[in-house]
Amino acid sequence: MPGFDFSNHNRNIALHAKGVPLPKATSTGTTIVGALYDGGVVIAADTRATSGPIVADKNCEKLHYISPQIWCAGAGTAADTEFTTAIISSNLELHSLSTGRKPRVVTVMTMLKQHLFRYQGHIGAYLVVAGCDPTGAHLFTVHAHGSTDKLPYVTMGSGSLAAMSVFETQWKPNLSRDDAVKLCADAIEAGIWNDLGSGSNVDVCVITPEKTTLLRNFKTPNTREKKQRDYKFKRGTTAVLNEKVITKEQISKYVTVHDIGDGKAGVGEKMDVDTQPSAPS
Amino acid sequence: MASLFNAQSMLDQPSYSFAQPTSHSEPRQHSFYPYTDNGGSTLGISGQDFAILAGDTRSTSGYNINTRYAPKLFKIGGDGPNNTGSKIVLSVVGFAADGRALKERLDTVVKMYKYQHGKDISVGACAQRLSHILYSKRFFPYYVTAILGGIDEEGKGALYSYDPVGSYEREQCRAAGAASSLIMPFLDNQVNLKNQYDASQPQGFGKEPLKPQPLSRPHVESLVNDAFTSAVERHIEVGDGLQMMIITKDGIEETYAPLKKD
Amino acid sequence: MDALVAQYSRPAHQEGFADEDQQQLTADIQPPLSLKFALPPIASSQQWLRAMTDDNSNPNCPIKIAHGTTTLAFRFKGGIIVATDSRATAGNWIASQTVKKVIEINSCLLGTMAGGAADCQYWLAYLGMQCRLHELRHKRRITVCAASKILANLVYSYKGMGLSMGTMCAGVTPSEGPALYYIDSDGTRLAGNLFCVGSGQTFAYGVLDAQYNYDLSDEDALELGRRSILAATHRDAFSGGFINLYHVKEDGWVKHGFTDTNGVFWDTKLNKGEFSNVTANLD
Repeated sequence: MPGFDFSNHNRNIALHAKGVPLPKATSTGTTIVGALYDGGVVIAADTRATSGPIVADKNCEKLHYISPQIWCAGAGTAADTEFTTAIISSNLELHSLSTGRKPRVVTVMTMLKQHLFRYQGHIGAYLVVAGCDPTGAHLFTVHAHGSTDKLPYVTMGSGSLAAMSVFETQWKPNLSRDDAVKLCADAIEAGIWNDLGSGSNVDVCVITPEKTTLLRNFKTPNTREKKQRDYKFKRGTTAVLNEKVITKEQISKYVTVHDIGDGKAGVGEKMDVDTQPSAPS
Repeated sequence: MASLFNAQSMLDQPSYSFAQPTSHSEPRQHSFYPYTDNGGSTLGISGQDFAILAGDTRSTSGYNINTRYAPKLFKIGGDGPNNTGSKIVLSVVGFAADGRALKERLDTVVKMYKYQHGKDISVGACAQRLSHILYSKRFFPYYVTAILGGIDEEGKGALYSYDPVGSYEREQCRAAGAASSLIMPFLDNQVNLKNQYDASQPQGFGKEPLKPQPLSRPHVESLVNDAFTSAVERHIEVGDGLQMMIITKDGIEETYAPLKKD
Repeated sequence: MDALVAQYSRPAHQEGFADEDQQQLTADIQPPLSLKFALPPIASSQQWLRAMTDDNSNPNCPIKIAHGTTTLAFRFKGGIIVATDSRATAGNWIASQTVKKVIEINSCLLGTMAGGAADCQYWLAYLGMQCRLHELRHKRRITVCAASKILANLVYSYKGMGLSMGTMCAGVTPSEGPALYYIDSDGTRLAGNLFCVGSGQTFAYGVLDAQYNYDLSDEDALELGRRSILAATHRDAFSGGFINLYHVKEDGWVKHGFTDTNGVFWDTKLNKGEFSNVTANLD
């Protein structure tokens, strides 16, 4: 069965009525903006994801791919923006395959608003949709309840007021590409500094009829300074009551083990962690 | 108390109900809520002959920043409005207005003490007095967590921490406020050497835990700095500036260092 | 001239409180340990306080007051053993692991602390003051009976206001011998041989009731107190930290250490073979 499973809805309401707090979804605070310019459209976002007052991710991606020439900036519940854009993206691909035409921005906007309206705001996705199609460059906002707007410059998220104040003082018609990128980045920065829900870096995406350029971490004004002390513990500092080594041979009784890389230790997915600039990478 | 979902809370109501939460349409009295959480964090560490208190200088409400420079550290006692010559520092986090009121009251008490007795109040006495001031509002609490620092009568660094209604205790280190749950475990590990065992001994049941040693002033200052730069990374209400006060027998040194402003 | 002025003028701190302005100034600031408390400017101040501070009924309340404890005291032939843990919790947060929950009221009287930490600290300090005044007025030490009654009457006068304390008064006086009283913020006051108070009380009772005997030797009694607290810290999440042990005798109380439960636990497990349910085997 497609769609959502509501079987726990009544139980959860009963629990909530008894004072059990609802589980927290990541991120409501965000700054996302978009602006049209002569020959294309720019969207930008900050990179902070929060869970309550805690920063859950310092460098997340809030610019989502819809189609090669259409991108989406998402605010609101992280999972909802992620999945709605993914669903629309895949439906759009099928749609453009069956019609044999390049997808249009209005189509994306309409699909999003119909999807979101059906769920009456329970899907907490607030989106800025931008892209270029055969009819030109377009910029829309879509709210979680399904309402949409079409404007030359837009902001959304908890930092929207800070960002809009930049647009309202500095935006002018017929911007050049570089001016539009700078304006959007400045608007995001206003959100980063003045809104607690937004922070870290600026991501920008420039879309022209010819090509799309994703400028990931276009600005990084919040790099962490070096820690003053070294917190490396001596080996043996942690007390161990007992230890047991499980070898690759033993575990291959239950699962298939593949070697990746050259077999040396420390291969696999590289994690983005705070490291002292010592080891050359 | 043991859990949110214990047997008792299940028993005090007819076993299960699917009732909707109270409808939003019926009139509801707006409750008396005189507090705002202004965020921020403070910490204190006491050493052999000094005590350090530190706090960030951001004041928030909701997702907004009220100001990037609102001190949370206050000199108590001394002379005149600038507290010259004072050797006691009070730090307060929570509701800034209550914090100010508390500081004002303690400062007056300490100054009156000198006026009446002709000598400076001891930190121990000041700490007890602060407890009583907090408790005098037991039924209408100050929404603050306070830390008091100074030099005791033996010349050692003294640090007292409080709950909102005045229970207090002398400690080696304490973090308070929004990021206390981020900073306090770090301090437990680095100052009191919790969960650290003697690495030279073999593994097993007999491993000796490391014994905390008094830390030097530069060591403590670097710990405070790292605690705050790390808290800024992961807590949205902490940032902008770091105000530090170092209390020694010669008086109070105040420093300010910028923190990230996002 | 200066000598003449100096003869008739004194610094402010030696002058007494005759000056009216100064009296007004000092009156504004409440004296320490007063019985005057600020109240919120609304009709239902008690419900309001509960909404703000009761983390039991509302886990999201803004002010979390330190709570949670195991304390015990029992009478035996050698006097009274008083033992506590040292953990304070505010909601699910461990506020401190080093709380002194035995309050030394004077050299012969001990009080224990369970419930609101501030309530216990403040009112037991107040009790200490009243005990000293009693001593000065009547030229002899107050009985534990009378001291506990001062406290019981006091908390009863605040009944319903939101105080939260479960305390024990232990002391030895010439007229009573070793005496032990339980007082809580509901106004209950009980004399008895053995009490455990706090969130870990049931665990402590389990050990204490099984081993308790009035004719215990001093060493065995101290060990029983320690073992009972250890049992409670082992099973109650809101108890832990250090074991605080006191022995009250005729000539006053003696402190028997503030020991980390971790060390006591491993010692009990490895050297006495108890807690065999705790195992480090990985099979």
